[in-house]
Amino acid sequence: MNYTLLIPEILLTILALVIILFGLLMSDKDKNMLGYLSAAGILASIIAILGTSGSASFFYFYNSLVIDPLSQVFKLIFLTVSLLVVIASIGYFKNNPHQDEYYTLLLLALVGMMVVSSANDLISLFVGFELASMSTYVLAGFEKKNSLSLEAALKYFIIGSLSSALLLFGMSLVYGITGSTNIPVIIDYFRANPLLAASSLGVIGIIFLVAGFGFKMALVPFHMWAPDTYEGSPTVVSSLLAAGSKKMGFVAAFRLLVLFAVAVVPLRLDIQMAFGVLAVITMTYGNIVAISQRSIKRMLAYSSIAQAGYISLAFVVTTQMSVAGGVLLALGHALMKGGAFIAVAVVAYMVLSDNKNAKNTDDLENFAGLSKRAPITAFSLLVFLLALAGIPPSAGFIGKFVLFYAVIIEAVARASSWLLLVVIIAILNSALSIYYYARVIKYMYVLPPTGDKIKEPTPYVVALVLAVIGTIGIGIYPEPFIQMAMNAAHVLGV
Amino acid sequence: MLYYYLLVSAIIFTVGSYGIITQRSGIKILMCIELLLNSANLNLVAFSSYNGNASGQVFAAFSIAIAAAEAAIGFAILVALFRVRDTINLDNIDILRW
Repeated sequence: MNYTLLIPEILLTILALVIILFGLLMSDKDKNMLGYLSAAGILASIIAILGTSGSASFFYFYNSLVIDPLSQVFKLIFLTVSLLVVIASIGYFKNNPHQDEYYTLLLLALVGMMVVSSANDLISLFVGFELASMSTYVLAGFEKKNSLSLEAALKYFIIGSLSSALLLFGMSLVYGITGSTNIPVIIDYFRANPLLAASSLGVIGIIFLVAGFGFKMALVPFHMWAPDTYEGSPTVVSSLLAAGSKKMGFVAAFRLLVLFAVAVVPLRLDIQMAFGVLAVITMTYGNIVAISQRSIKRMLAYSSIAQAGYISLAFVVTTQMSVAGGVLLALGHALMKGGAFIAVAVVAYMVLSDNKNAKNTDDLENFAGLSKRAPITAFSLLVFLLALAGIPPSAGFIGKFVLFYAVIIEAVARASSWLLLVVIIAILNSALSIYYYARVIKYMYVLPPTGDKIKEPTPYVVALVLAVIGTIGIGIYPEPFIQMAMNAAHVLGV
Repeated sequence: MLYYYLLVSAIIFTVGSYGIITQRSGIKILMCIELLLNSANLNLVAFSSYNGNASGQVFAAFSIAIAAAEAAIGFAILVALFRVRDTINLDNIDILRW
């Protein structure tokens, strides 16, 4: 058997174990190099994945893992986010004596997300989910003297384990009906016996799966953990959670629910309707609540909920183009949101260097005159916020454009007025979101600064510049990315 | 026979979710999460025996191991929180809210 395609996972797992082992023997000062080591490992994995682009599917370990275009796209998303987060963490956790544990957990979370994206079996899906979730529970509470961070971790832990339990219960019912844990076998069985899928046991199983994935994707009404966790966690970890681990729910839902909606004709409309309602509630709630936030991390959390609402439009029509749009928006969101949280981390650094005991470092007031105090950060945050609002040329615009366009085509093809209504609400929501993004921009560029110019730490600047290049690059030259997303959607047979 | 197993597991699941909603002590919530996971495990094993294939039991074995790891992390977070805040009553853990 040829394991070349699994090199990224193997490499990162070994790297994580090496770091925790050697961390025991290193002095606290030497641990600063572990960040560079992790970044190098992630970079090598990105290169390995880019080298394997193709449209074929390869199966491993008795069909429990699959390497196909869909898994590769999402692996690239996870690796890119982790790379940005690791680079920023080199500055954030500098001289922290627990850096070895931090990087190990981060790499293990990354491996978990990558396993989820190639899971072809309910068991590997669940194990991957849990590996990523448990590592991120600990990461959220990493500042163990800070009660905010611990509170965020506790809330994340309780809701996260509840969602895992719902997911497992749903999986057990699906297994009970089909007698198999292998996803293609399950889908084939349901395609052959659609009435069994539409039986009460099948419907309950699907409801549990939707709820379980909904918690991971932070769709309203399964969202309540997200703002608290993103606000309380260390900012670089919030970046990983919002930009990375949220996409894990999407890739799993793409693999299971989209296939399900395509295969099981009697339930297709119900699933699509359910996601239509969820998407509309999610984007509207996220945008409206984001308006009243003073804490920027919390505002970004609600905007992230709204973006999850847009991405879940992909489930509402389940065409190749809509899934491709979902993948593109997920890619764009990873860059924009990851970058935006890192920019907030720079502001926190700036405020703490003015006053060591400052509280609420992400308050809107602290962003006043940021363009004078930290010009690179301010410009990057400007780019990310405009991209989140969907202004061209940016990754956010391309993603939203393909997604909304796909839904409109389908609405016209089906002559369906409720689909059209969903798109109109989504577009109005995009317009609404400009209000709270523009308010931050006004603080950064119009209001007078409250302190002196600072020297922005190099790691943050590198991460921000990379994210800006990615965000604008996808906007200016989208063809290869659209092609990649289309290939990924093609795997699902839609 | 399958019917009774599913009934028991549904009852355990209901007790667990009721507990998560009503209980305010961190430890009790952890216990309720264990109940939820175990009701799913019971389902898996019952279905596995009913369908006559072993993958359900393998799944249950994996999920029992995962539940143990989850409990360890949960208690670690509660201990760390207790050291900082002197309480694990969820009503008092309310700094983060809009």
